Amino acid sequence: MRRRSFIKQSGAALAAVSPLGLGAVRYLGEAGPWLVVPMDDAQDDHLKAYGVTFRALKRGVKCEWFLNYRDGSFLIPADDATVRDAQLSGVTTESVSDGALLSIRGEIAGANMEAVPLEKAPEVAVYAPPDAAPWDDAVTMALQYAGIRFETVWDSEVLGAGLGEYDWLHLHHEDFTGQYSKFFLNYSGTAWLNAMVAQNESMARQLGQPNVPALKLAVAESISRFVTDGGFIFAMCTATETLDLALAGADVDLAASYADGDPIDPNAASKMNWDRSLAFENADLVLSPTVPQFSNIDGHQVNAPARRQSLGSFTLFSFSAKIDPVASMLVQNHREVIPDFYGLTTSFTRGTLKPGVTILADEPGAHWVKYIHGEAGKGTYTFFGGHDPEDPQHQIGDAPTDLSLHPHSPGYRLILNNVLFPAAKKKELKT
Amino acid sequence: MRFMVLIAYSMLATVATASGVQAQRLGVARAFDLERRGSYADAVEAYGKVLADSPGDVTALLGMERSLTPLGRIPEIIPLVRNALAEDSTTGAIYAIGVRAWAQLDQPDSLEVMVVRWAAQHPDEETPYREWGRALLRRQRRDAARDAYLRGRSALGDPSALAAELALLATSEEDHVAAAREWALAAHRLPGYRASALNSLGQTPERQREAVLRQLRQDTLVVARRLEAELRAHWGDPVGGYALFVTTLPDDPVQAIQIIRQFLEQLRSQRSPAVRRVQGMAYEGIADRSTGPQASRMRLESARAYAEGGDQESARRMLARLAGDPRAPADLVAGATATLIDVLVAEGSVEDAEHRLEEFQGGLSGEERLALRRTVAWGWVRQGDLGRAGRLVASDSTVDGLALAGYIALFSGDIASAVDRFQGAGPYAGTREEAVARTTLLALLQPIEADTLEALGEGLMILHRGDTVTAVAQLAGVAESLPDAGGGAELYLLIGKAALANGDMSRGEAWLRKAAAGGTQATAPAAELELGRMLLKLGRREEAIDTLEHMILSYGGSALAPQARRLLDQARGGIPRI
Repeated sequence: MRRRSFIKQSGAALAAVSPLGLGAVRYLGEAGPWLVVPMDDAQDDHLKAYGVTFRALKRGVKCEWFLNYRDGSFLIPADDATVRDAQLSGVTTESVSDGALLSIRGEIAGANMEAVPLEKAPEVAVYAPPDAAPWDDAVTMALQYAGIRFETVWDSEVLGAGLGEYDWLHLHHEDFTGQYSKFFLNYSGTAWLNAMVAQNESMARQLGQPNVPALKLAVAESISRFVTDGGFIFAMCTATETLDLALAGADVDLAASYADGDPIDPNAASKMNWDRSLAFENADLVLSPTVPQFSNIDGHQVNAPARRQSLGSFTLFSFSAKIDPVASMLVQNHREVIPDFYGLTTSFTRGTLKPGVTILADEPGAHWVKYIHGEAGKGTYTFFGGHDPEDPQHQIGDAPTDLSLHPHSPGYRLILNNVLFPAAKKKELKT
Repeated sequence: MRFMVLIAYSMLATVATASGVQAQRLGVARAFDLERRGSYADAVEAYGKVLADSPGDVTALLGMERSLTPLGRIPEIIPLVRNALAEDSTTGAIYAIGVRAWAQLDQPDSLEVMVVRWAAQHPDEETPYREWGRALLRRQRRDAARDAYLRGRSALGDPSALAAELALLATSEEDHVAAAREWALAAHRLPGYRASALNSLGQTPERQREAVLRQLRQDTLVVARRLEAELRAHWGDPVGGYALFVTTLPDDPVQAIQIIRQFLEQLRSQRSPAVRRVQGMAYEGIADRSTGPQASRMRLESARAYAEGGDQESARRMLARLAGDPRAPADLVAGATATLIDVLVAEGSVEDAEHRLEEFQGGLSGEERLALRRTVAWGWVRQGDLGRAGRLVASDSTVDGLALAGYIALFSGDIASAVDRFQGAGPYAGTREEAVARTTLLALLQPIEADTLEALGEGLMILHRGDTVTAVAQLAGVAESLPDAGGGAELYLLIGKAALANGDMSRGEAWLRKAAAGGTQATAPAAELELGRMLLKLGRREEAIDTLEHMILSYGGSALAPQARRLLDQARGGIPRI
């Protein structure tokens, strides 16, 4: 029996004999000064477990992330506040004595596992318009459900005070080419699109930019500087693809005339400078303003009926927890294979990835990958394709996802891995 | 020999004719194929070849008209029509092509000549004038079209001729009063026009409806009054409409039934109580004109419609008539009896219902009889006569019977028997909601030490009868007299929820707090959850969060804890409040 399976079954067996309800503290032997937050199938609410750990860090409590131990469990000192918080959240915890903890550490030392200290709760920012629908962004939903505090920033904050006070920035379905995700094609005249255009044009004027594409380019460049200066960004959906297109196309007119008043530069492809982008290079651009795509970076092309690919599932890669803890943190999960989900950008074609990009998850056999990570300057970026892991074919206007119905969502776990990993104590990687 | 030669010639002529017809058919088929493929110029040529051999071939002439139109070459049809008429001056289709062609060419004199020639050939037909009017309407010449129709009416000497055409013309000009007059004429002439008339007049804008009804009322034709009746029903006065409608019915029952069915069909999609009552009347009207099983079936339909329309008196009348009919089929009698008893109990005539049940129970199956006895027993319960209710279900050992017996015992104040009966009924009697309600009552009754508690029974019966205000007042007194652990807390929970449902928030909150403070491991979390829900609804978010947190932390093992967490998430904005 593989160790991982054995541990999973042991945890499940312990959970099965527990007479207590959800969120209760389970005792492994005598009650001890530590709480293990199991992240295997014994956990009653995987997503809120991140919130409990985050809030403990916020209170100044030192925690640890046990990579690959029971699918990425957390260790938290058993103070009253944490016990109370876990019970209110319905998060399963197990009381562990010093002796039992020593045994766990021994197990971690002898396997592809690692105990990563978590020292400080990161300051989290979400890039979104001030009146953004609160339930239309998977990360915002995950943060709110888990109870992780965050600030909302938009163009005026990014270009004004900057992002210096934050450790982690999330981008979702923003179109950094300034073309409103090419929604003009299907939603022209709708009230929400009119409002979006008016809001962006007003912001461009307010910030002294000639048009919205110029404004979004300035924002993209500011975000890029945030990364190279040591920040962490996590992007999903269109933000991944358009951020890089905007950066690489800084000197090129990529925007259709409805966005900036003049047509796209017909020679744009040859003028792209891919040295400026984070993850992608040499992409073929879709220059037609009437085709709802940006480039061949996206492997699924959900809005192009002739090229649209059906959804499959993606598989998380395994990394050496001791040698490559960052990538390991980002893939901690109780499921290895996860159903795919669409977004305006669903996936990333292998041929457009820069050589240094780490692939965290892909669809075996397909020419696209789902989840990538890389370093730029002193910081890192993580890109996750798709819009909402629990609403695979999300449409504008769909009912919001209620995460209390998906407390074990493996897709949302990946998002929350990203929120916690900046809390990890930086140490030199072993070679 | 001479005879043989004649036969040979005759055979050759027949073969030649047959091959000519065959060639003509092939020519038309080829032309049609070209036309279908959109090769109109080639089709014109092909049709032309056919017409050269056979100028009166109507199929080819029609094809030629269709093919010339998209080419803008319609004038070319005129000589072909002339040739055709020279060969065959009686076929109306050829005249019709000519009429359409002259109209397109905007040649009114030639058009009129064509119509006159056509009408002369067929002096009793409306068709020449109908085509004339239609051709002019295609040119948007409404006045000329009206003149054409009226000229036809005059020529035919029939004041109702071409009425449908004139009605449609009036409708297109939004003259709905004139349309009503013409539709009445059209429906009088040809009853099949009734549906078209109703459909067209039914679209009349509200401001013109009274004028339309007035026009129909002034009309001497019976069909006009019938249209008025049906339009009234359609426009929101089904009772008034039906009252008028019945005055228009013919004496012949077969015809009358057919007309009533048409009226019912018009109302088929409507289900308002007033419409259901009118449907009841209509079914009754059919029943009165029918015999045998048909009459019985219609009476049952009528009773159901009356009952759904709230006219219990008429429903009862129908059912009594059906149930007392010795010739009615047994299955209908059983259905009627059951419906009648339901109706009687619903209107409070429980005595009568029980009497009917005793009378008809021989024709019912054992299960039906028991179910109806329970229905009557519930009627007695609602009237407060628990003794009669108890006697009716005394021998009923089904789970439904036990559940009812439990309520009768409870309302009598016999707590011990009620608990015994509810436990006997278990979760299987009635609907899921009814089973949950009994379980809730069991949770209330089991901690009570006394075997009898009349005030509690009386209060719960008042609550069951829907008088929440009186019931909670009485039950609050009972709750005060009971220890918290002896049913007091459970009773506070019950009346707290009842008060909240009735909009009495302050007393509801007070009672829920008492239930939460004094409750057991089962009652207190339920009370706190209810309290949290109420506070959240009232916008007292912080208090709701405190209450829910207290509930989760104090009763983490409660089956209600997940509900409380979900509510807490909503209160904190962690999940959408849908």
